[in-house]
Amino acid sequence: MAENKKYWRGVEELTDSNLTQELSAKEFPTEIPTDEFLGNKEALEESSTSRRDFLKYMGFSTAAATLAACETPISESIPYVIAPEEIIPGVANYYATSFYDGHDFASILVKTREGRPIKVEHNKMAAINGGANARIHASVLNLYDATRMQSPMVNGEKADWSTVNKTVKAGLDAAEAGGKQIVMLTSTVISPSAQKLINEFGAQYSNFKHVSVDAFSFSGKLDAHKAASGTRALPLYHFNKAKVIASFGADFLGDWIGQSVAGDYATTRKPGKGMSRHIQFESNLSLTGSSADKRYKLTPTEMNTALVALYNELSGSSLAGGKTNFSNEIKSLAKELKAAGNEALVVSGSNNKDVESLTIAINQLLANEGTTISNDHHNLLRKGNDTAFNSLVADMNAGSVGAVLMDNVNPVYHFANNDKVMAGLKKVKTSVYFTEKNDETAQVVSVVCAKHNFLESWGDAMPATGHYALQQPTIQPLFDTKQMEDCLMAWSGNDGDYLDYMKANWGVGILGSSDWSTALHDGVLMSTTAPVMEEAATETESSEEEMEVETTGMDVSASASNLSKIKGAALELAVYQKSAMGTGNLANNPWLQELPDPISRVTWDNYLTVSAADALELGIENRNVSNGALNGSKVNITVNGKTIEGVPALIQPGQAKGTMGLALGYGRQGVGKVADAVGVNAFALMKDAQHTAAITVDVAEGEHEFACTQLAHTMMGRKIVNETTLDTFLNESPSNSRGDGWNQKVEYATFKGPMAADEVNLWDDFDHETGHMWNMSIDLNMCNGCGACVIACHAENNVPVVGKEEVRKSRDMHWLRIDRYYSSDMTEEVAEETGVSSFAKFDKMEDPSASPDVFFQPVMCQHCNHAPCETVCPVAATTHSNEGLNHMAYNRCIGTRYCANNCPYKVRRFNWFQYHDGSKSEFDINYSMNDDLGRMVLNPDVTVRSRGVMEKCSLCVQRIQLGKLEAKKAGRPVKDGDVTTACQSACDTGAISFGDVNDHNSEVFELKKDKRMYHLLEEVGTQPSIFYQTKVRNRA
Amino acid sequence: MHYEAPIREPLINGDKSYHDITVDVAAPVESKAPRSWWIVFSLALIAFLWGIGCILYTIGVGIGTWGLNKTVGWAWDITNFVWWVGIGHAGTLISAVLLLFRQKWRMSINRSAEAMTIFSVIQAALFPGIHMGRIWLAYFVFPIPNQFGSLWVNFNSPLLWDVFAISTYFSVSVVFWYVGLIPDFAMIRDRAVRPVTKHIYKILSFGWGGKAKHWQRFEEVSLVLAGLATPLVLSVHTIVSMDFATSVIPGWHTTIFPPYFVAGAIFSGFAMVNTLLIIVRKVFKMEDYITLGHIEMMNIIIMLTGSIVGVAYITELFIAWYSGVEYEQYAFLNRATGPYWWAYWSMMTCNVFSPQFMWFKKLRTSLIFSFVISIVVNIGMWFERFVIIVTSLHRDYLPSSWTKFSPSFVDIGIFIGTIGFFFVLFLLYARSFPVIAQAELKTILKSSGENYKKLHDKDGH
Repeated sequence: MAENKKYWRGVEELTDSNLTQELSAKEFPTEIPTDEFLGNKEALEESSTSRRDFLKYMGFSTAAATLAACETPISESIPYVIAPEEIIPGVANYYATSFYDGHDFASILVKTREGRPIKVEHNKMAAINGGANARIHASVLNLYDATRMQSPMVNGEKADWSTVNKTVKAGLDAAEAGGKQIVMLTSTVISPSAQKLINEFGAQYSNFKHVSVDAFSFSGKLDAHKAASGTRALPLYHFNKAKVIASFGADFLGDWIGQSVAGDYATTRKPGKGMSRHIQFESNLSLTGSSADKRYKLTPTEMNTALVALYNELSGSSLAGGKTNFSNEIKSLAKELKAAGNEALVVSGSNNKDVESLTIAINQLLANEGTTISNDHHNLLRKGNDTAFNSLVADMNAGSVGAVLMDNVNPVYHFANNDKVMAGLKKVKTSVYFTEKNDETAQVVSVVCAKHNFLESWGDAMPATGHYALQQPTIQPLFDTKQMEDCLMAWSGNDGDYLDYMKANWGVGILGSSDWSTALHDGVLMSTTAPVMEEAATETESSEEEMEVETTGMDVSASASNLSKIKGAALELAVYQKSAMGTGNLANNPWLQELPDPISRVTWDNYLTVSAADALELGIENRNVSNGALNGSKVNITVNGKTIEGVPALIQPGQAKGTMGLALGYGRQGVGKVADAVGVNAFALMKDAQHTAAITVDVAEGEHEFACTQLAHTMMGRKIVNETTLDTFLNESPSNSRGDGWNQKVEYATFKGPMAADEVNLWDDFDHETGHMWNMSIDLNMCNGCGACVIACHAENNVPVVGKEEVRKSRDMHWLRIDRYYSSDMTEEVAEETGVSSFAKFDKMEDPSASPDVFFQPVMCQHCNHAPCETVCPVAATTHSNEGLNHMAYNRCIGTRYCANNCPYKVRRFNWFQYHDGSKSEFDINYSMNDDLGRMVLNPDVTVRSRGVMEKCSLCVQRIQLGKLEAKKAGRPVKDGDVTTACQSACDTGAISFGDVNDHNSEVFELKKDKRMYHLLEEVGTQPSIFYQTKVRNRA
Repeated sequence: MHYEAPIREPLINGDKSYHDITVDVAAPVESKAPRSWWIVFSLALIAFLWGIGCILYTIGVGIGTWGLNKTVGWAWDITNFVWWVGIGHAGTLISAVLLLFRQKWRMSINRSAEAMTIFSVIQAALFPGIHMGRIWLAYFVFPIPNQFGSLWVNFNSPLLWDVFAISTYFSVSVVFWYVGLIPDFAMIRDRAVRPVTKHIYKILSFGWGGKAKHWQRFEEVSLVLAGLATPLVLSVHTIVSMDFATSVIPGWHTTIFPPYFVAGAIFSGFAMVNTLLIIVRKVFKMEDYITLGHIEMMNIIIMLTGSIVGVAYITELFIAWYSGVEYEQYAFLNRATGPYWWAYWSMMTCNVFSPQFMWFKKLRTSLIFSFVISIVVNIGMWFERFVIIVTSLHRDYLPSSWTKFSPSFVDIGIFIGTIGFFFVLFLLYARSFPVIAQAELKTILKSSGENYKKLHDKDGH
């Protein structure tokens, strides 16, 4: 049904039908003034917006709108409201401060960028411990560890500081009221102000004790010195004045008594007349033993008898217990020591009081007091008292301790009787623990005080008599933390802050004629007027019973007979410290975990070191799997009734037969994902804080997977580390016509006649005489392998950490590595004499000797002037500068790895993965690159490399540029010393020199002419900018 | 017409007419694929897809998914690359060099040999790409105008020479192959009944009309391309060998490499041709065209080049000793007696000893034996590249960096993937392209065909 309904569009349509018609004829109801607009040609042309422009604008707007819709990464960069005067973006500030964690001490400079501490440098003004070791170099990363304690805790619950203060105060009052002891348990306190504060704090209570204890204790040694001289303090050793050094188990280049002596030692190791002679007796192969001219392998028990024998030999007496298998060696040592007279030095590494008494007696016989040993100035870095600590543990268990405050110690981890410590701490009503980590001790205490990092703290130190140092914060506290001193002041009702307290304390006696600002600027102060720290008072209090026994003086024959009573076991354990880990305070630090042990070159582990002979007897095996990685047997070890299961065993050349070594500082719990579950805790085996003990070993099921960065251990008869003896060095010319000089230059027969390998060239050479020519000299006599340079390189150049699994795949990223070689019993000469075939010869050459000479060789990019890597890169991503540097253009690199293959030194490192991508959990241990907080440690001057890119040592090109710019700003040429590389400035012994060889006043210019100089793999003709100085051992 | 002595073995067996050849060659294209083809094709496709997965995984995550390390920066990647390039040598040699030498026997095998060349060069070309850490910047290797200032590629780098050598070789081979295919495509076009098929082959055959002028141009272009391709046969592997020869690594730095690599490449290429053709002639019933004589000819070449390679191996050892360079001496001692001794002796056994059996006529005319040896040879040639690359790198100058290499599943997956990819291409080719250059083959029917030879004999001329 059709319906003719009509709809109007409006009333107008109904009323005026014409309108509809009129409108329908037009497109728009009203006239559009197009003619005005388009018709006016003039106006159109005058208009600046042409059609093309319109399209352009529209295109741009569309594109801009599209782009704006994309999500941009949010970068939280907040400008200063009031810019601090001293912070200029892009310019680094350096602050002098000190590092002390109860074990290591160093006066350092901290480099900050935009307010962030990013690197540790040495404080060259410091007369003592101005050189940071590998751990202290790495310590800056621990500041940015997100697993640090971020706020205090009371009874396991997060709390604020007022609650903490209330709880602690109440606890202290209750203890005081109950007549119970209040104990302050610390590591050795080296801060005069903190000591004063502790004394003042203690004075408020009737039953207060201050107990110091060292994680790696030298309590016995201290007792011996007390008996000998009346002062319970270690002397300062002056290795720089020693001509003959005999060490009985003292790893003084590694870790010893806190005083860093490597620099002093190195000054006597310069080859030439007067070079010192160093004889080492030890059971584990240590850094010190590796550098020695002569090294003997002894068990700890044999070391005791040898020491008695030496005493007998020197004094002419015949004390019991001097019967030794090493009588000839001891006789010749005695002769050498006597000849050196007061320039001789005998040191021991034991914590046994009798051993130290004998050592003191021997040194007294040598009359070296005043030359190589100084008792006028004491080393104050080790003052711990094991007796006091043990009685504290007994008191705690007996319930007579009402409150204990702990700082710089981790008693549950660091001591063999940790089960008793734990039980005791649980019995103490108020146990307060200052810590940066929610670690082993933090688990059992009632109040955990989250502590500042050392870079956030104020402090002072007296590492040795008359030597003062200051510690200043270099960043605002990152978390809700406080330092121990501030808390102590608050709890003792002392208003004001610790800085003022310290300033006042310094003003009274320490500063003398110098002023605070200068001292703070320098970070160190030598003061002769300052009073000796008041320690005697507290020490007496805490060790009364001991005092009675100790005043009898030193009885050498008693010591000797005590030592002779120690019967050696079939197998003896000697614990040791790795240069990466020390006592494990900084364990949650990926740089340190991945720093290869200088000797074994194993990362991410501690393990039982076993001699090859013992391994054979016990059935311990080490083998390389298909990709080369090292696997080893696991063993169960029992020491003093304590058993640790599944300890990996590593066959270690140079390990004395019948001895085993185990490194401290591993097996941490609760300190973070980097350190937890790495290795085993060897402290648990140190009964009575002795460093040695009897051990029994059973091979266990299963294999351990090591992450070892060096899988071949000998030089295979090649001239890699060039070595000679002092006699040869002094009396023979480096090159001779027979071709067997001690530093024979390689020559090639060419059409121009014989030419040095370095000079042979196919092409016309580039000009190396104009401008700078950066060269580096590495003195193999000075290098002791400590690894500080490797860590400094990590920090300076943002070198990634890859983790255990990747290291196992031989993918460590170290730009600078310290190769370690052992000598082999098989040499070319031996092969010739015995008529061994080539096949057998090379086979045998792979086996290190059972008593090897050890060589360290730092190898980084050699910056070849005829670089094999440069010619093969298809895209010219690696090129040569006219200053002798081999550059790497990361953003040009496409990652063919041809350069790395063609590198004879194998120093190029490839980014196999995106090591800095936070989303990849496999690299989350690398928190310096994968964590917002951790990334604050990155050096903004150096690019973080992406995946698929080759990287390598740049000779710190950013520091070279800085040096050149600074000189340019000052309007002068670059001077020698204006530019230092990170590795060079981290080297305590001055093994690395860097400079411009075109500057004829430079040190490196002189060193290049030295007759010890040689290039690594000179015969390949790469003409490196790095050269080495021949190693000279002082032996016939 | 070319006259061939009757005592020469006929190159085409049976009573074949021109039409018979046409029908025989077109048969695989025109018939339906048998079940066996589908099975093999599926297997190849699965391997190929698995390989693609591994490649994508590599690109997505990083080269770290392979087994490489700081010391051994190349292993399976470049081993596979050189292996595939080597295999890719036989095709051009057969079609170009033998064309210039007027070796008529090449006519029945050159098509497939060249197809094999192209498909294996495709496999080879994959590796320089995917072995890069940042493949997305692969265009950096081409000397193209850019906005990076005067930044140019490094003409000193053998890797860059590779880029030119491989791309030139690939393009010339493809053109040469395609030119030869045009008359054969036209043949299929003319026989095609289904319009779609006809249309496709019409496009592929470029409007070939079979005119005298067409044939004349065809002959000329073939000759010119053969002339161009011949030096490439020598240059490609020479340049590939320079990746190693120009380096400073003991075991790589060897002037003997160019001829040694070329001989090795021909060796492996012919072995691969044998592997494929022994199957093809059986499956496609082309025994009359790809005769035992062909197989025997190729076996002789395998024996010859295998012996050349053997001489090269021994020369290397001698030179290492004679040079007096301790690194060089150790490198070769280590090859033979070090941790990878098994790879060295696999190579020696497969490449030097096994081809010597071909001295015996009975063995070299045995299909089964030829097939087995052809596979053994390619296993040996893979090991040769592995030995050169990995055992030289894993222990070079400084013992501190010595390590070993072990492939990851990705390394293996990509290698298997390329084998799959190769067979996917070859199987598709075998069912859609004329696998024998029938147009050319017809030219020798009257001179070298068995029936015509018999006629000559009968007629007494």
